[in-house]
Amino acid sequence: MLFSDALRRDVVSTATATRVARVAGFVVAAGPARVALLRLGKVTGDGTLLAWEDVQGFGSDAATVADAAVIRGPRDEEEERLDSTASDILGKRVLTERGDELGEIADVDFDPETGAVVTFITGKETIVGDRLIGHGSYAVVVSVDRSGRRTTG
Amino acid sequence: MIGPDETSALLLRARELTGRPVVTLGGELEAEIKDVVFESDGGRIAGFTLRNQGLFSRARKDALPWDAVHGVGRAAVMIRDVTQLVPAPELAPKKQARKGDVLADRVLTDSGRDLGTVVDVVLQGGAGLDVVGYEVEAGEALGTGRRVFIPLPDTVSVSGENLIVPASAADFVSDDLAGFGAAVEGFRARLRGGRDEEADDAVQ
Repeated sequence: MLFSDALRRDVVSTATATRVARVAGFVVAAGPARVALLRLGKVTGDGTLLAWEDVQGFGSDAATVADAAVIRGPRDEEEERLDSTASDILGKRVLTERGDELGEIADVDFDPETGAVVTFITGKETIVGDRLIGHGSYAVVVSVDRSGRRTTG
Repeated sequence: MIGPDETSALLLRARELTGRPVVTLGGELEAEIKDVVFESDGGRIAGFTLRNQGLFSRARKDALPWDAVHGVGRAAVMIRDVTQLVPAPELAPKKQARKGDVLADRVLTDSGRDLGTVVDVVLQGGAGLDVVGYEVEAGEALGTGRRVFIPLPDTVSVSGENLIVPASAADFVSDDLAGFGAAVEGFRARLRGGRDEEADDAVQ
């Protein structure tokens, strides 16, 4: 499933059968590349974060949670930093660990069952999720394509 | 298939690195390159001084040592993380750095020919960084006023005034950076092959 399709999807509580939020963004973590957190909008409480572990299902029409209570605020400084549009991976520049730019993230294909990132899609190419090394406020860093030639320095 | 992100032999001038962002593997922008710091011996580079990016950029008290460079590409200088930066004075005491600065040095062959004056250092990026040659404003021997690239052996003798290269280096001079990668490889292969004497003859 693509991030672009999954954005703005309703988050529904299976306990109350009501919409409790809407998907506003994705926080991607490395090692392995996966969706770690969802950022939410249109929430009723204070918190806007939803850990992937607390997502019951991510279907074609809605994401479900057992209870709206799992939607929470940031737990630590790291999560506080991630709880903003600056942590959004869409539109972020992609650098290789060798310092070359591969374009900007146009979309991300993820497995809605596991949250694993399958591929990062830039204007130029498709990068397998395994290549993700790190993701910060400035760039997404990926390893050099192992199928290609390597320098020996 | 070779992807478009492959940089097998990225060659760049040291001065081109000024202003290039320094980015951690975690994707955070830490600084940008201010200047190259040369080592006191061997014409090598000790590292880089840094400045903050942007309009209100201030000089920084930390610096990036050469061996902490993870990769150098067209868009950024990559480091593993911010803990690899060191206080600037640790990189090289100022006096030594001046002595090791090869800019404006005269390039002499070991047979005593003046090849010209160093105007920039040529680095090979990719995984880490390697000094592979000099951009030289040529002297009489190579055509006065011409800007050429001269390959460097693995080790070189440097004094702060003169820089000694094997005479065979003159056989591998390039007019542009594009052709220089092959020249460096050819030159180093010849040095390893120990056929310096032939080259000596050729240029005399």
